[in-house]
Amino acid sequence: MLNQSTATTTESGKTLEGVVGFFNDPHALLEATKKVREANYEVFDTFTPYPIHGLEKAQGLKRSPLPYVTFGAGLTGFLCANLLQIWTSAIDWPINVGGKPMFSIPAFVPVMFELTVLFGGLATVAGMLLFNGLPNTRKRAFDSSITRDRFAIFIGSPSKSANQSFKAFTESEATQMLKAVGAQEVRTVFAEGWF
Amino acid sequence: MATHPSHSHEIKNPGPWEVPSSLRISFIALAVIGFALFGAGLKVDSHRAWASFLHNHFFFMSLALGGLFFAAIQWLTGAMWSAPLRRVAESFTSYLPVAILTFLVIGFGVHDIYHWSHAEHVQGDIVLEGKAGYLSVPFFLIRNVIAMSVWFFFAWKMVGNSLKQDSEGGVALTFKNKALAPAFLILFAISFTMASFDQLMSLDPHWFSTMFGVYCFAGLFYSTLALTAVVTVTLKRRGLLEGIVSEEHLHDLGKFMFAFTTFWAYIGFSQFMLIWYANLPEETGYFLNRFEGQWLWVSIFLLVGKFLVPFLVLLPRENKRNQNILFNIGIYMLGAQWIDILWVVQPEFYKDGPRCFWIEAGTLLGFVGLFGFIVTRFLSKNNVVAIKDPRLEEAVFHHHQ
Repeated sequence: MLNQSTATTTESGKTLEGVVGFFNDPHALLEATKKVREANYEVFDTFTPYPIHGLEKAQGLKRSPLPYVTFGAGLTGFLCANLLQIWTSAIDWPINVGGKPMFSIPAFVPVMFELTVLFGGLATVAGMLLFNGLPNTRKRAFDSSITRDRFAIFIGSPSKSANQSFKAFTESEATQMLKAVGAQEVRTVFAEGWF
Repeated sequence: MATHPSHSHEIKNPGPWEVPSSLRISFIALAVIGFALFGAGLKVDSHRAWASFLHNHFFFMSLALGGLFFAAIQWLTGAMWSAPLRRVAESFTSYLPVAILTFLVIGFGVHDIYHWSHAEHVQGDIVLEGKAGYLSVPFFLIRNVIAMSVWFFFAWKMVGNSLKQDSEGGVALTFKNKALAPAFLILFAISFTMASFDQLMSLDPHWFSTMFGVYCFAGLFYSTLALTAVVTVTLKRRGLLEGIVSEEHLHDLGKFMFAFTTFWAYIGFSQFMLIWYANLPEETGYFLNRFEGQWLWVSIFLLVGKFLVPFLVLLPRENKRNQNILFNIGIYMLGAQWIDILWVVQPEFYKDGPRCFWIEAGTLLGFVGLFGFIVTRFLSKNNVVAIKDPRLEEAVFHHHQ
Protein backbone atom coordinates (compact mmCIF):
# COMPACT_ATOMS: atom_id res chain seq x y z
CA MET A 1 0.00 0.00 0.00
CA LEU A 2 2.82 2.36 0.88
CA ASN A 3 5.22 1.78 -1.93
CA GLN A 4 3.20 4.02 -4.27
CA SER A 5 4.08 7.25 -2.53
CA THR A 6 6.85 9.47 -3.79
CA ALA A 7 8.27 12.28 -1.79
CA THR A 8 7.21 15.86 -1.32
CA THR A 9 10.22 17.87 -0.12
CA THR A 10 9.54 20.31 2.68
CA GLU A 11 11.39 23.50 3.60
CA SER A 12 13.64 21.75 6.11
CA GLY A 13 14.92 19.55 3.33
CA LYS A 14 13.27 16.45 4.75
CA THR A 15 10.91 14.44 2.62
CA LEU A 16 7.34 14.31 3.88
CA GLU A 17 5.84 10.86 3.67
CA GLY A 18 2.61 11.32 5.54
CA VAL A 19 1.06 11.55 8.96
CA VAL A 20 0.49 8.84 11.51
CA GLY A 21 -2.07 8.82 14.29
CA PHE A 22 -1.76 6.64 17.38
CA PHE A 23 -4.61 4.97 19.26
CA ASN A 24 -4.54 3.19 22.60
CA ASP A 25 -7.50 0.96 21.97
CA PRO A 26 -8.14 -1.59 19.18
CA HIS A 27 -11.86 -0.75 19.08
CA ALA A 28 -11.12 2.95 18.66
CA LEU A 29 -8.74 2.05 15.86
CA LEU A 30 -11.40 -0.01 14.17
CA GLU A 31 -13.96 2.79 14.27
CA ALA A 32 -11.39 5.35 13.12
CA THR A 33 -10.27 3.08 10.28
CA LYS A 34 -13.79 2.95 8.88
CA LYS A 35 -13.98 6.77 8.86
CA VAL A 36 -10.56 7.24 7.33
CA ARG A 37 -11.46 4.75 4.64
CA GLU A 38 -14.63 6.68 3.87
CA ALA A 39 -12.52 9.80 3.44
CA ASN A 40 -10.95 7.97 0.48
CA TYR A 41 -7.23 8.67 0.72
CA GLU A 42 -4.99 7.11 -1.89
CA VAL A 43 -2.34 5.88 0.55
CA PHE A 44 -3.49 4.62 3.91
CA ASP A 45 -2.63 1.71 6.18
CA THR A 46 -3.00 0.52 9.75
CA PHE A 47 -0.44 -0.92 12.17
CA THR A 48 -1.29 -3.14 15.12
CA PRO A 49 0.74 -5.32 17.46
CA TYR A 50 -1.60 -8.28 16.92
CA PRO A 51 -4.36 -9.24 14.46
CA ILE A 52 -7.67 -7.47 15.05
CA HIS A 53 -10.89 -9.11 13.92
CA GLY A 54 -12.65 -7.20 11.19
CA LEU A 55 -9.81 -4.77 10.53
CA GLU A 56 -9.20 -6.05 7.02
CA LYS A 57 -12.90 -5.48 6.29
CA ALA A 58 -12.84 -1.99 7.81
CA GLN A 59 -9.80 -1.18 5.73
CA GLY A 60 -11.32 -2.66 2.60
CA LEU A 61 -8.47 -5.07 1.96
CA LYS A 62 -8.93 -7.83 -0.56
CA ARG A 63 -8.43 -11.41 0.50
CA SER A 64 -4.86 -12.65 0.32
CA PRO A 65 -4.08 -15.11 -2.48
CA LEU A 66 -2.04 -17.10 0.05
CA PRO A 67 -4.51 -20.04 0.38
CA TYR A 68 -4.11 -20.79 -3.32
CA VAL A 69 -0.34 -20.89 -2.90
CA THR A 70 -0.74 -23.35 -0.02
CA PHE A 71 -3.16 -25.50 -2.01
CA GLY A 72 -1.01 -25.55 -5.13
CA ALA A 73 2.14 -26.34 -3.20
CA GLY A 74 0.38 -29.03 -1.15
CA LEU A 75 -0.84 -30.67 -4.31
CA THR A 76 2.66 -30.46 -5.81
CA GLY A 77 4.08 -32.10 -2.70
CA PHE A 78 1.49 -34.85 -2.92
CA LEU A 79 2.33 -35.55 -6.58
CA CYS A 80 6.09 -35.40 -5.95
CA ALA A 81 5.72 -37.95 -3.15
CA ASN A 82 3.85 -40.26 -5.51
CA LEU A 83 6.38 -39.92 -8.30
CA LEU A 84 9.37 -40.25 -5.98
CA GLN A 85 8.12 -43.42 -4.35
CA ILE A 86 6.68 -45.10 -7.40
CA TRP A 87 9.84 -44.39 -9.38
CA THR A 88 12.32 -45.43 -6.72
CA SER A 89 10.57 -48.43 -5.20
CA ALA A 90 8.64 -49.88 -8.12
CA ILE A 91 10.46 -48.87 -11.31
CA ASP A 92 14.06 -47.81 -11.03
CA TRP A 93 15.43 -49.95 -8.20
CA PRO A 94 12.86 -52.39 -6.84
CA ILE A 95 14.04 -54.18 -3.70
CA ASN A 96 11.55 -56.23 -1.81
CA VAL A 97 12.17 -55.74 1.90
CA GLY A 98 8.71 -56.12 3.43
CA GLY A 99 7.15 -58.96 1.49
CA LYS A 100 4.72 -56.48 -0.05
CA PRO A 101 4.12 -55.72 -3.71
CA MET A 102 6.61 -53.21 -5.11
CA PHE A 103 3.81 -50.83 -5.92
CA SER A 104 2.10 -50.56 -2.49
CA ILE A 105 0.04 -47.44 -2.05
CA PRO A 106 -0.54 -47.92 1.73
CA ALA A 107 3.21 -47.83 2.30
CA PHE A 108 3.45 -44.61 0.32
CA VAL A 109 0.72 -42.76 2.17
CA PRO A 110 2.81 -41.49 5.12
CA VAL A 111 5.33 -39.91 2.74
CA MET A 112 2.53 -38.48 0.60
CA PHE A 113 1.09 -36.89 3.72
CA GLU A 114 4.44 -35.58 4.93
CA LEU A 115 5.46 -34.05 1.60
CA THR A 116 2.02 -32.46 1.19
CA VAL A 117 2.41 -30.82 4.58
CA LEU A 118 6.06 -29.91 4.04
CA PHE A 119 5.55 -28.31 0.62
CA GLY A 120 2.35 -26.61 1.74
CA GLY A 121 3.92 -25.30 4.94
CA LEU A 122 7.12 -23.98 3.40
CA ALA A 123 5.27 -22.39 0.48
CA THR A 124 2.87 -20.68 2.90
CA VAL A 125 5.78 -19.09 4.76
CA ALA A 126 7.50 -18.13 1.50
CA GLY A 127 4.27 -16.74 0.04
CA MET A 128 3.52 -14.81 3.21
CA LEU A 129 6.96 -13.18 3.07
CA LEU A 130 6.57 -12.44 -0.64
CA PHE A 131 3.11 -10.86 -0.37
CA ASN A 132 4.18 -8.79 2.63
CA GLY A 133 7.37 -7.61 0.94
CA LEU A 134 9.50 -9.16 3.64
CA PRO A 135 12.25 -9.33 4.71
CA ASN A 136 12.75 -5.62 4.43
CA THR A 137 15.96 -3.96 5.53
CA ARG A 138 15.04 -0.59 4.09
CA LYS A 139 12.04 0.33 6.24
CA ARG A 140 11.94 0.73 9.95
CA ALA A 141 8.89 0.86 12.19
CA PHE A 142 8.16 4.53 12.83
CA ASP A 143 7.47 3.84 16.47
CA SER A 144 8.22 0.71 18.47
CA SER A 145 4.96 1.06 20.37
CA ILE A 146 3.01 -0.27 17.36
CA THR A 147 4.64 -3.63 17.95
CA ARG A 148 3.77 -3.52 21.63
CA ASP A 149 0.67 -1.74 22.90
CA ARG A 150 -0.41 0.97 20.49
CA PHE A 151 -2.32 1.00 17.25
CA ALA A 152 -1.73 3.39 14.39
CA ILE A 153 -3.26 4.70 11.19
CA PHE A 154 -0.94 6.07 8.56
CA ILE A 155 -2.12 8.45 5.86
CA GLY A 156 0.51 8.85 3.17
CA SER A 157 1.41 11.44 0.64
CA PRO A 158 0.48 10.06 -2.77
CA SER A 159 2.48 10.14 -5.97
CA LYS A 160 2.88 13.47 -7.76
CA SER A 161 0.65 12.49 -10.63
CA ALA A 162 -2.21 12.50 -8.18
CA ASN A 163 -5.14 10.33 -9.08
CA GLN A 164 -8.18 12.58 -9.21
CA SER A 165 -10.54 9.91 -7.96
CA PHE A 166 -8.95 10.06 -4.49
CA LYS A 167 -9.09 12.73 -1.83
CA ALA A 168 -6.20 15.20 -2.12
CA PHE A 169 -3.59 14.89 0.64
CA THR A 170 -2.33 17.80 2.68
CA GLU A 171 -0.41 17.43 5.90
CA SER A 172 -2.61 19.72 7.94
CA GLU A 173 -5.86 18.30 6.63
CA ALA A 174 -4.77 14.69 7.28
CA THR A 175 -3.65 15.66 10.78
CA GLN A 176 -7.05 17.21 11.41
CA MET A 177 -8.72 14.10 10.10
CA LEU A 178 -6.79 11.77 12.40
CA LYS A 179 -7.48 13.99 15.41
CA ALA A 180 -11.14 14.13 14.50
CA VAL A 181 -11.41 10.33 14.44
CA GLY A 182 -9.89 10.12 17.90
CA ALA A 183 -6.13 9.71 17.54
CA GLN A 184 -4.38 10.39 20.85
CA GLU A 185 -1.22 11.54 19.13
CA VAL A 186 -0.52 12.59 15.56
CA ARG A 187 2.95 12.77 14.10
CA THR A 188 4.34 13.78 10.76
CA VAL A 189 6.46 11.13 9.14
CA PHE A 190 9.53 12.09 7.14
CA ALA A 191 11.57 9.85 4.93
CA GLU A 192 14.17 8.99 7.51
CA GLY A 193 15.19 5.43 7.46
CA TRP A 194 11.62 4.32 7.32
CA PHE A 195 11.35 4.86 3.59
CA MET B 1 -14.06 -6.08 28.03
CA ALA B 2 -16.59 -3.91 29.80
CA THR B 3 -14.55 -0.80 29.13
CA HIS B 4 -15.65 -0.60 25.53
CA PRO B 5 -18.83 1.33 25.05
CA SER B 6 -19.46 -0.37 21.73
CA HIS B 7 -19.87 -3.62 23.65
CA SER B 8 -22.65 -2.59 25.89
CA HIS B 9 -25.54 -3.66 23.68
CA GLU B 10 -27.53 -6.44 25.18
CA ILE B 11 -27.91 -9.84 23.57
CA LYS B 12 -31.57 -10.57 23.22
CA ASN B 13 -32.48 -13.90 24.78
CA PRO B 14 -34.03 -16.03 22.03
CA GLY B 15 -35.60 -18.25 24.68
CA PRO B 16 -36.48 -21.87 24.00
CA TRP B 17 -37.36 -23.23 20.59
CA GLU B 18 -41.10 -23.57 20.13
CA VAL B 19 -40.87 -26.89 18.37
CA PRO B 20 -43.70 -27.20 15.84
CA SER B 21 -46.08 -29.93 16.92
CA SER B 22 -45.91 -31.43 13.43
CA LEU B 23 -42.20 -32.06 13.94
CA ARG B 24 -42.78 -33.51 17.36
CA ILE B 25 -45.52 -35.81 16.08
CA SER B 26 -43.28 -36.87 13.17
CA PHE B 27 -40.58 -37.90 15.61
CA ILE B 28 -43.05 -39.88 17.70
CA ALA B 29 -44.44 -41.51 14.55
CA LEU B 30 -40.94 -42.37 13.35
CA ALA B 31 -40.08 -43.91 16.71
CA VAL B 32 -43.27 -45.99 16.79
CA ILE B 33 -43.05 -47.15 13.17
CA GLY B 34 -39.30 -47.70 13.38
CA PHE B 35 -39.38 -49.81 16.51
CA ALA B 36 -42.37 -51.74 15.16
CA LEU B 37 -40.25 -52.59 12.13
CA PHE B 38 -37.42 -53.58 14.46
CA GLY B 39 -39.86 -55.83 16.33
CA ALA B 40 -40.95 -57.40 13.05
CA GLY B 41 -37.28 -57.76 12.13
CA LEU B 42 -36.68 -59.72 15.33
CA LYS B 43 -39.23 -62.28 14.17
CA VAL B 44 -37.80 -62.51 10.65
CA ASP B 45 -34.08 -62.45 11.34
CA SER B 46 -33.08 -61.83 14.94
CA HIS B 47 -29.33 -61.65 14.26
CA ARG B 48 -29.82 -58.98 11.68
CA ALA B 49 -32.27 -56.95 13.74
CA TRP B 50 -30.07 -57.05 16.82
CA ALA B 51 -27.00 -56.13 14.78
CA SER B 52 -28.90 -53.13 13.50
CA PHE B 53 -30.05 -52.23 16.99
CA LEU B 54 -26.47 -52.30 18.28
CA HIS B 55 -25.32 -50.27 15.28
CA ASN B 56 -27.88 -47.52 15.88
CA HIS B 57 -27.50 -47.64 19.65
CA PHE B 58 -23.78 -46.96 19.28
CA PHE B 59 -24.27 -44.25 16.66
CA PHE B 60 -26.72 -42.23 18.76
CA MET B 61 -24.94 -42.91 22.05
CA SER B 62 -21.83 -41.43 20.42
CA LEU B 63 -23.75 -38.30 19.42
CA ALA B 64 -25.11 -37.83 22.95
CA LEU B 65 -21.70 -38.36 24.50
CA GLY B 66 -20.04 -36.25 21.81
CA GLY B 67 -22.21 -33.30 22.80
CA LEU B 68 -20.86 -33.54 26.34
CA PHE B 69 -17.31 -33.94 25.06
CA PHE B 70 -17.68 -30.81 22.91
CA ALA B 71 -19.08 -28.78 25.81
CA ALA B 72 -16.43 -30.10 28.22
CA ILE B 73 -13.51 -29.07 26.04
CA GLN B 74 -15.01 -25.59 25.73
CA TRP B 75 -15.20 -25.30 29.53
CA LEU B 76 -11.75 -26.73 30.00
CA THR B 77 -10.04 -24.45 27.51
CA GLY B 78 -12.13 -21.39 28.26
CA ALA B 79 -12.93 -21.06 24.57
CA MET B 80 -14.67 -17.83 23.62
CA TRP B 81 -15.81 -18.51 20.06
CA SER B 82 -18.04 -21.45 20.89
CA ALA B 83 -20.17 -19.85 23.60
CA PRO B 84 -23.17 -19.27 21.27
CA LEU B 85 -23.06 -22.87 19.99
CA ARG B 86 -22.45 -24.75 23.22
CA ARG B 87 -26.09 -25.13 24.26
CA VAL B 88 -26.82 -26.98 21.03
CA ALA B 89 -24.13 -29.53 21.88
CA GLU B 90 -25.44 -29.70 25.45
CA SER B 91 -28.89 -30.58 24.12
CA PHE B 92 -27.54 -33.85 22.69
CA THR B 93 -26.64 -35.04 26.19
CA SER B 94 -30.33 -35.22 27.09
CA TYR B 95 -30.31 -38.48 25.13
CA LEU B 96 -27.69 -40.10 27.44
CA PRO B 97 -30.22 -41.69 29.85
CA VAL B 98 -32.03 -43.18 26.83
CA ALA B 99 -28.71 -44.57 25.59
CA ILE B 100 -28.37 -46.40 28.92
CA LEU B 101 -31.83 -47.87 28.33
CA THR B 102 -31.07 -48.94 24.78
CA PHE B 103 -27.89 -50.56 26.10
CA LEU B 104 -29.95 -52.47 28.64
CA VAL B 105 -32.22 -53.59 25.79
CA ILE B 106 -29.11 -55.01 24.11
CA GLY B 107 -28.84 -57.21 27.21
CA PHE B 108 -31.72 -59.21 25.71
CA GLY B 109 -29.90 -59.63 22.42
CA VAL B 110 -26.46 -60.50 23.77
CA HIS B 111 -26.61 -64.06 22.48
CA ASP B 112 -27.70 -62.93 19.03
CA ILE B 113 -24.98 -60.32 18.82
CA TYR B 114 -21.92 -61.61 20.66
CA HIS B 115 -20.28 -64.84 19.68
CA TRP B 116 -18.33 -64.90 22.97
CA SER B 117 -21.51 -65.05 25.02
CA HIS B 118 -22.05 -68.70 24.06
CA ALA B 119 -20.27 -71.01 26.46
CA GLU B 120 -20.13 -73.77 23.82
CA HIS B 121 -18.16 -71.51 21.47
CA VAL B 122 -15.74 -70.45 24.17
CA GLN B 123 -15.05 -74.03 25.22
CA GLY B 124 -12.00 -75.35 23.42
CA ASP B 125 -11.07 -72.02 21.88
CA ILE B 126 -7.78 -71.03 23.52
CA VAL B 127 -8.14 -67.34 22.77
CA LEU B 128 -11.73 -67.08 24.00
CA GLU B 129 -11.00 -69.18 27.08
CA GLY B 130 -8.24 -66.72 27.91
CA LYS B 131 -10.62 -63.81 27.52
CA ALA B 132 -13.53 -65.49 29.30
CA GLY B 133 -12.93 -63.62 32.55
CA TYR B 134 -13.40 -60.29 30.82
CA LEU B 135 -15.94 -61.25 28.19
CA SER B 136 -18.66 -62.54 30.48
CA VAL B 137 -22.22 -61.29 30.08
CA PRO B 138 -22.80 -59.93 33.61
CA PHE B 139 -19.41 -58.19 33.76
CA PHE B 140 -19.98 -56.80 30.25
CA LEU B 141 -23.36 -55.36 31.20
CA ILE B 142 -22.26 -54.02 34.58
CA ARG B 143 -19.10 -52.24 33.46
CA ASN B 144 -20.81 -50.63 30.48
CA VAL B 145 -23.73 -49.44 32.55
CA ILE B 146 -21.25 -47.98 35.06
CA ALA B 147 -19.37 -46.21 32.27
CA MET B 148 -22.56 -44.77 30.83
CA SER B 149 -23.74 -43.75 34.28
CA VAL B 150 -20.50 -41.84 34.75
CA TRP B 151 -21.20 -39.96 31.50
CA PHE B 152 -24.73 -39.29 32.60
CA PHE B 153 -23.53 -38.07 36.00
CA PHE B 154 -21.21 -35.52 34.39
CA ALA B 155 -23.88 -34.47 31.89
CA TRP B 156 -26.31 -33.97 34.72
CA LYS B 157 -23.77 -31.94 36.71
CA MET B 158 -22.19 -29.86 33.98
CA VAL B 159 -25.19 -29.25 31.72
CA GLY B 160 -27.17 -28.68 34.93
CA ASN B 161 -24.71 -25.96 35.95
CA SER B 162 -24.94 -24.43 32.50
CA LEU B 163 -28.75 -24.34 32.66
CA LYS B 164 -28.68 -22.95 36.18
CA GLN B 165 -26.43 -20.16 34.93
CA ASP B 166 -29.20 -19.06 32.55
CA SER B 167 -31.14 -17.79 35.55
CA GLU B 168 -28.40 -17.12 38.10
CA GLY B 169 -25.70 -15.61 35.89
CA GLY B 170 -22.26 -14.94 37.32
CA VAL B 171 -19.01 -16.77 36.76
CA ALA B 172 -19.08 -19.29 39.64
CA LEU B 173 -20.89 -21.96 37.63
CA THR B 174 -18.48 -21.56 34.73
CA PHE B 175 -15.60 -22.20 37.15
CA LYS B 176 -17.40 -25.24 38.55
CA ASN B 177 -17.65 -26.68 35.07
CA LYS B 178 -14.06 -25.80 34.38
CA ALA B 179 -13.12 -27.95 37.40
CA LEU B 180 -15.42 -30.83 36.40
CA ALA B 181 -14.39 -30.88 32.74
CA PRO B 182 -10.87 -32.39 33.11
CA ALA B 183 -12.18 -35.09 35.42
CA PHE B 184 -14.82 -35.96 32.86
CA LEU B 185 -12.40 -35.90 29.94
CA ILE B 186 -9.96 -38.30 31.60
CA LEU B 187 -12.77 -40.67 32.53
CA PHE B 188 -14.27 -40.24 29.06
CA ALA B 189 -11.04 -41.30 27.35
CA ILE B 190 -10.84 -44.47 29.43
CA SER B 191 -14.52 -45.36 29.53
CA PHE B 192 -15.30 -44.66 25.87
CA THR B 193 -12.33 -46.78 24.83
CA MET B 194 -13.74 -49.53 27.00
CA ALA B 195 -17.25 -49.09 25.65
CA SER B 196 -16.07 -49.27 22.04
CA PHE B 197 -13.89 -52.31 22.77
CA ASP B 198 -16.79 -54.01 24.52
CA GLN B 199 -19.72 -53.08 22.35
CA LEU B 200 -18.12 -53.13 18.89
CA MET B 201 -14.65 -54.68 18.91
CA SER B 202 -15.81 -57.78 20.80
CA LEU B 203 -18.10 -58.62 17.85
CA ASP B 204 -14.99 -60.40 16.62
CA PRO B 205 -13.60 -61.57 19.96
CA HIS B 206 -10.42 -62.94 18.37
CA TRP B 207 -9.46 -59.63 16.89
CA PHE B 208 -7.90 -56.69 18.69
CA SER B 209 -6.65 -53.26 17.82
CA THR B 210 -5.43 -50.86 20.46
CA MET B 211 -6.41 -48.02 18.13
CA PHE B 212 -10.02 -49.07 17.97
CA GLY B 213 -11.13 -46.75 20.78
CA VAL B 214 -9.52 -43.75 19.09
CA TYR B 215 -11.12 -44.78 15.82
CA CYS B 216 -14.55 -44.75 17.46
CA PHE B 217 -13.74 -41.45 19.14
CA ALA B 218 -12.77 -39.92 15.79
CA GLY B 219 -16.15 -40.96 14.41
CA LEU B 220 -17.89 -39.70 17.54
CA PHE B 221 -16.51 -36.21 17.22
CA TYR B 222 -16.86 -36.19 13.41
CA SER B 223 -20.58 -36.86 13.72
CA THR B 224 -21.11 -34.64 16.78
CA LEU B 225 -19.69 -31.61 14.98
CA ALA B 226 -21.81 -32.42 11.94
CA LEU B 227 -24.95 -32.62 14.08
CA THR B 228 -24.01 -29.40 15.89
CA ALA B 229 -23.84 -27.67 12.51
CA VAL B 230 -27.16 -29.16 11.40
CA VAL B 231 -29.04 -28.15 14.56
CA THR B 232 -27.41 -24.71 14.71
CA VAL B 233 -28.36 -23.94 11.11
CA THR B 234 -31.88 -25.26 11.73
CA LEU B 235 -32.28 -22.88 14.68
CA LYS B 236 -30.72 -20.05 12.69
CA ARG B 237 -33.13 -20.60 9.81
CA ARG B 238 -35.98 -20.24 12.26
CA GLY B 239 -34.56 -16.89 13.32
CA LEU B 240 -33.71 -18.01 16.85
CA LEU B 241 -30.01 -17.22 16.66
CA GLU B 242 -30.42 -13.83 14.97
CA GLY B 243 -27.60 -11.51 15.99
CA ILE B 244 -25.95 -14.29 18.01
CA VAL B 245 -24.55 -16.90 15.66
CA SER B 246 -22.95 -15.15 12.71
CA GLU B 247 -21.18 -16.63 9.75
CA GLU B 248 -17.94 -16.17 11.73
CA HIS B 249 -19.13 -18.79 14.23
CA LEU B 250 -20.26 -21.09 11.43
CA HIS B 251 -16.85 -20.62 9.84
CA ASP B 252 -15.16 -21.71 13.07
CA LEU B 253 -17.45 -24.72 13.34
CA GLY B 254 -16.74 -25.56 9.70
CA LYS B 255 -13.00 -25.47 10.41
CA PHE B 256 -13.58 -27.85 13.31
CA MET B 257 -15.52 -30.22 11.02
CA PHE B 258 -12.78 -30.00 8.42
CA ALA B 259 -10.11 -30.77 11.02
CA PHE B 260 -11.92 -33.80 12.36
CA THR B 261 -12.66 -35.13 8.89
CA THR B 262 -8.91 -35.22 8.44
CA PHE B 263 -8.42 -36.61 11.94
CA TRP B 264 -10.79 -39.48 11.24
CA ALA B 265 -8.95 -40.35 8.03
CA TYR B 266 -5.63 -40.14 9.85
CA ILE B 267 -6.75 -42.47 12.61
CA GLY B 268 -8.54 -44.83 10.25
CA PHE B 269 -5.52 -45.10 8.03
CA SER B 270 -3.13 -45.49 10.97
CA GLN B 271 -5.15 -48.43 12.24
CA PHE B 272 -5.20 -49.99 8.79
CA MET B 273 -1.57 -49.41 7.90
CA LEU B 274 -0.08 -50.90 11.07
CA ILE B 275 -2.10 -54.06 10.58
CA TRP B 276 -1.37 -54.19 6.85
CA TYR B 277 2.36 -53.69 7.35
CA ALA B 278 2.80 -56.18 10.18
CA ASN B 279 0.53 -58.65 8.35
CA LEU B 280 -0.02 -60.81 11.44
CA PRO B 281 -2.71 -63.46 10.93
CA GLU B 282 -4.47 -62.65 14.22
CA GLU B 283 -4.90 -59.02 13.18
CA THR B 284 -5.55 -59.04 9.44
CA GLY B 285 -8.90 -60.86 9.57
CA TYR B 286 -10.79 -57.69 10.38
CA PHE B 287 -9.70 -55.95 7.19
CA LEU B 288 -9.82 -59.06 5.03
CA ASN B 289 -13.51 -59.38 5.93
CA ARG B 290 -14.05 -55.80 4.86
CA PHE B 291 -12.22 -56.09 1.55
CA GLU B 292 -14.23 -59.08 0.39
CA GLY B 293 -17.38 -59.12 -1.70
CA GLN B 294 -19.51 -56.02 -1.67
CA TRP B 295 -17.77 -54.80 1.49
CA LEU B 296 -14.88 -53.62 -0.67
CA TRP B 297 -17.17 -50.94 -2.10
CA VAL B 298 -18.18 -49.82 1.35
CA SER B 299 -14.49 -49.62 2.30
CA ILE B 300 -13.81 -47.50 -0.78
CA PHE B 301 -16.80 -45.34 0.10
CA LEU B 302 -15.25 -44.64 3.52
CA LEU B 303 -12.04 -43.42 1.92
CA VAL B 304 -13.68 -41.35 -0.80
CA GLY B 305 -17.07 -40.52 0.68
CA LYS B 306 -16.32 -40.17 4.34
CA PHE B 307 -12.97 -38.42 3.93
CA LEU B 308 -12.35 -36.89 0.49
CA VAL B 309 -15.81 -35.48 -0.18
CA PRO B 310 -16.21 -33.53 3.11
CA PHE B 311 -12.52 -32.60 2.92
CA LEU B 312 -12.91 -30.97 -0.50
CA VAL B 313 -16.32 -29.46 0.28
CA LEU B 314 -15.09 -27.90 3.53
CA LEU B 315 -11.78 -26.71 2.05
CA PRO B 316 -12.86 -23.35 0.52
CA ARG B 317 -13.51 -20.56 2.99
CA GLU B 318 -16.80 -19.57 1.35
CA ASN B 319 -18.29 -23.03 1.88
CA LYS B 320 -17.61 -23.01 5.62
CA ARG B 321 -19.33 -19.63 5.89
CA ASN B 322 -22.38 -20.72 3.91
CA GLN B 323 -25.07 -22.07 6.21
CA ASN B 324 -26.79 -24.10 3.51
CA ILE B 325 -23.60 -25.87 2.49
CA LEU B 326 -22.73 -26.46 6.14
CA PHE B 327 -26.18 -27.92 6.80
CA ASN B 328 -26.05 -30.23 3.79
CA ILE B 329 -22.53 -31.47 4.43
CA GLY B 330 -23.52 -31.97 8.08
CA ILE B 331 -26.36 -34.29 7.06
CA TYR B 332 -24.02 -36.02 4.63
CA MET B 333 -21.34 -36.53 7.31
CA LEU B 334 -23.90 -38.01 9.70
CA GLY B 335 -24.83 -40.47 6.96
CA ALA B 336 -21.18 -41.29 6.34
CA GLN B 337 -20.63 -41.97 10.04
CA TRP B 338 -23.70 -44.21 10.10
CA ILE B 339 -22.30 -46.20 7.17
CA ASP B 340 -18.94 -46.37 8.97
CA ILE B 341 -20.51 -48.06 12.00
CA LEU B 342 -22.48 -50.33 9.67
CA TRP B 343 -19.09 -51.27 8.20
CA VAL B 344 -17.75 -51.99 11.69
CA VAL B 345 -20.73 -54.09 12.79
CA GLN B 346 -22.23 -55.96 9.87
CA PRO B 347 -19.24 -57.74 8.29
CA GLU B 348 -19.07 -59.76 11.52
CA PHE B 349 -22.48 -61.19 10.59
CA TYR B 350 -22.55 -61.11 6.79
CA LYS B 351 -19.28 -61.74 4.99
CA ASP B 352 -20.52 -61.20 1.44
CA GLY B 353 -21.81 -57.68 1.67
CA PRO B 354 -23.93 -55.14 3.53
CA ARG B 355 -27.56 -55.74 4.35
CA CYS B 356 -29.45 -52.51 4.27
CA PHE B 357 -33.17 -52.74 3.77
CA TRP B 358 -36.31 -52.42 5.86
CA ILE B 359 -34.87 -53.88 9.09
CA GLU B 360 -31.94 -51.46 9.05
CA ALA B 361 -34.02 -48.55 7.79
CA GLY B 362 -36.72 -49.24 10.36
CA THR B 363 -34.30 -49.44 13.28
CA LEU B 364 -32.57 -46.27 12.11
CA LEU B 365 -35.87 -44.40 11.83
CA GLY B 366 -36.88 -45.60 15.29
CA PHE B 367 -33.70 -44.21 16.78
CA VAL B 368 -33.96 -40.99 14.74
CA GLY B 369 -37.46 -40.50 16.14
CA LEU B 370 -36.37 -41.20 19.69
CA PHE B 371 -33.25 -39.04 19.52
CA GLY B 372 -35.04 -36.23 17.68
CA PHE B 373 -37.89 -36.23 20.15
CA ILE B 374 -35.63 -36.11 23.21
CA VAL B 375 -33.30 -33.44 21.84
CA THR B 376 -36.06 -31.15 20.53
CA ARG B 377 -37.81 -31.58 23.87
CA PHE B 378 -34.66 -30.30 25.60
CA LEU B 379 -34.45 -27.36 23.20
CA SER B 380 -38.13 -26.54 23.72
CA LYS B 381 -37.67 -26.41 27.50
CA ASN B 382 -34.40 -24.50 27.72
CA ASN B 383 -32.91 -21.43 26.11
CA VAL B 384 -31.24 -22.36 22.84
CA VAL B 385 -28.28 -20.17 23.85
CA ALA B 386 -26.43 -20.14 27.18
CA ILE B 387 -27.64 -16.60 27.59
CA LYS B 388 -25.78 -15.63 30.76
CA ASP B 389 -22.54 -17.34 29.90
CA PRO B 390 -19.83 -14.80 30.77
CA ARG B 391 -18.11 -15.53 27.47
CA LEU B 392 -21.15 -15.04 25.29
CA GLU B 393 -20.88 -11.27 24.88
CA GLU B 394 -17.27 -11.41 23.77
CA ALA B 395 -18.02 -14.31 21.45
CA VAL B 396 -20.89 -12.45 19.80
CA PHE B 397 -19.40 -8.97 19.49
CA HIS B 398 -15.78 -9.94 19.04
CA HIS B 399 -16.74 -11.64 15.80
CA HIS B 400 -19.31 -9.13 14.69
CA GLN B 401 -17.20 -6.09 13.95
